[in-house]
Amino acid sequence: MLREHIGSAEIVTLIGLCKNAGKTTALRRLMAELEGERLGLTSVGRDGEATDLVTGTEKPDLYVRAGDLFATARGMLALCDATCAVEALTGVMTPLGEVAVLRALSDGYIQLAGPSAAGQLSPLAAEFRRLGADRVLIDGAAGRKSLAGAGAEGCAILCAGASVDRSMEAVVAETAHVCALFGAEPPEPPGLRTAVEALETRFALFTPEGEPLELPLDEGGTPRWAKLPQRPCALWAGGAITDPLLKTLARRGAPTALITANPTHVLAGREAMALFARAGGTLAVRRTLAIAAVCANPWSAYGWQFEPAAFLAALRAAIPLPVVNVREED
Amino acid sequence: MELTQELRAHTGLKWVLDKLSPMSPFGRAAIRRLPWYGPGQRAALEEEFSNIAQAIPLWAENGAPFRAMTRCLPLFHDIRGSLDREAGSPFDLVELFEIKHFLLTLEQLIAAYERLAPFAGIALISMGEALDRIDPSGRRLPAFSIEDSQHPELGPLRAEKNALEARIRAAAGEERAALLECRRLLAVREDALELEVRRTMTAALMACLPEFLANMETLGRLDLILAKALLARRYGCIRPVLAEDGRICLRQVVHPQVAAALEERGDSFTPVDITLGRGCTVITGANMGGKTVSLRAVSLSLLLCQCGFFVFAEEACLPLFDRVALILADSGPGSGGLSSFGGEVHALDTLLRESRDTVFFLALDEFARGTNPQEGAALARTLVRYLNGLRCTALMTTHYDGVSDAAAAHYQVAGLVRTVDGDEGDDPRRRIARRMDYRLQPAPPGAPCPRDALRVCRLLKLDPELLALFSEEG
Repeated sequence: MLREHIGSAEIVTLIGLCKNAGKTTALRRLMAELEGERLGLTSVGRDGEATDLVTGTEKPDLYVRAGDLFATARGMLALCDATCAVEALTGVMTPLGEVAVLRALSDGYIQLAGPSAAGQLSPLAAEFRRLGADRVLIDGAAGRKSLAGAGAEGCAILCAGASVDRSMEAVVAETAHVCALFGAEPPEPPGLRTAVEALETRFALFTPEGEPLELPLDEGGTPRWAKLPQRPCALWAGGAITDPLLKTLARRGAPTALITANPTHVLAGREAMALFARAGGTLAVRRTLAIAAVCANPWSAYGWQFEPAAFLAALRAAIPLPVVNVREED
Repeated sequence: MELTQELRAHTGLKWVLDKLSPMSPFGRAAIRRLPWYGPGQRAALEEEFSNIAQAIPLWAENGAPFRAMTRCLPLFHDIRGSLDREAGSPFDLVELFEIKHFLLTLEQLIAAYERLAPFAGIALISMGEALDRIDPSGRRLPAFSIEDSQHPELGPLRAEKNALEARIRAAAGEERAALLECRRLLAVREDALELEVRRTMTAALMACLPEFLANMETLGRLDLILAKALLARRYGCIRPVLAEDGRICLRQVVHPQVAAALEERGDSFTPVDITLGRGCTVITGANMGGKTVSLRAVSLSLLLCQCGFFVFAEEACLPLFDRVALILADSGPGSGGLSSFGGEVHALDTLLRESRDTVFFLALDEFARGTNPQEGAALARTLVRYLNGLRCTALMTTHYDGVSDAAAAHYQVAGLVRTVDGDEGDDPRRRIARRMDYRLQPAPPGAPCPRDALRVCRLLKLDPELLALFSEEG
């Protein structure tokens, strides 16, 4: 069911709208559906534990098959009961020790605690492929904020659960907002697309067609927003797209075409995004990261639940993407 | 002798060390604790120099065994942390992986090293037995796991567990839950057996601790020799001849840090010739004539030589000292609440107290320039006389007249001797450089210090009104 939506994407990142959004349930389901493929598994930060360390709610285990690869911090190894071979060390340090790449020599339970910084996942995915993984699955840990900058390849599965909010309308609206963000496309003018291709700076300013413009900075390297030209401009932002940034740009007095590296960089909420759009602002990405499907979890970890059929119907009405009930056994 | 951060920075040794490119963590550690080859270690120093001389052509030829060796060095991880443990505490899987990786890489490196002419004093100990212990099947694959053969019960237990896992794959519901519980018990037993294997393996490997440590030490020295050789090749450094007569003799010596800065500006460094015997030699000369640079170049050459490096010169004949010191007039702000003069005197006093009964080299940059000139000149003159009576070689720069009278030898910067016209619009630094001959020339004792200050002011385009006043006074 989920498998048909991800197609041949080599890397699949699971993104949760919040903690306990059903991400690990979705991951287990995907693992079961991908039986026969050699998987490379990791998480952004720690996941896979029986009891969630942050909220104390019950979490599903990850049970791998012999041959699967996984990356986890060495401190987690005592909690893995599959027979394992250490294949490589990543050099990525976490509070639980260095992240190692292991091969399961038997079926068994594992605990994931992978790299948490952006830029560490790509080399790890390459290592998985070198060791023979057919597909890499990344568990994106708690909420999309912790995923900023990560998983800019392949496709994503968005997990939307009742844990986000008591109000079903709010959960649906938030899900639709994130889906809209992930629908962002590369900038249309070819000049602008080329201009941002290899940028590594935090900010850069262009004409809407991609001609570089001078961007006045203060001593801290932050743009002096009041000095931006009073005409439409394109702004590259290499870091996170936050509420304050969007509000500042909305107030600047001329429309801004904002370009970010990929949709995971956008941390801003619905209101700020709407304000930015009302001021003529548009959002584009250097690399798209398509949401292949939305995994809906009508059960909240905090005691309440939505009526499953109504929740799925509301999501399907608001989102032009496949919506799957995470616990539907088919 | 302690190579203080201050001495490293002031002489330019830090700059040179930053240019080294060691390949392994052991080489980096070796750089952090450089040996000091004092007067009693002539033979060991000659051995180090011979090793560097032997390594230089290897970099040029880059033959297959050498390439194999330099490919291995960057692969090492520092496993000293894992080896430093309480007796009886077993290695975990990742530690065993790292140790296996070390042993595999060591085996490859030894195979490559054996195909080269050996360096003196660099003998790596083969650890084949330890490797067999950690890789009993002898497959020498990079991955590490605990193999069935390492415990008689492990194979049968894992077979039973695998069979159970196959049934779990096909089962569902309550049956699956029951099978998973059976599996859990087997997994606990497997873990206990693996722990037993890890304990035995740890004991066997820790019995080889001296070999591990000796090899890491040797790898560090080997890496450092290769890095020194590469540096010497890159900068055309030469092997110093160790002087028997206590005289320092440098021909065409360069200060590489200053040379690099000049090169960046599009200028070039003028190498200097200098010979220093026992006692205090004095350098005088024009402002901006490179006196301090010469002083630093001599000090750096001595430090490099005694740390087992080739030096930045065309010829170097250098004696070995117990200690090399450089005292700068401006050693930075606020050295413990002392003025620049106070700082100098304190440093000098400390050195002299600590260096009794030793042979030392001391470089002094414009000693006592921070105090009243008449008194300062007298102090500098007296210090020169005093140093002449000690078992030391000293070099002092000064602007004071009368200091060189007392010196064992006297050098003067050739100075602003070149006539150049038509560059009035140019950068003043360049204009001075163009007119300046930085070479050191032997001068008679007592020869007066050059009077170039006004010319330097003129070349620096000092305000004409002030310059006119200066000229009247001068």
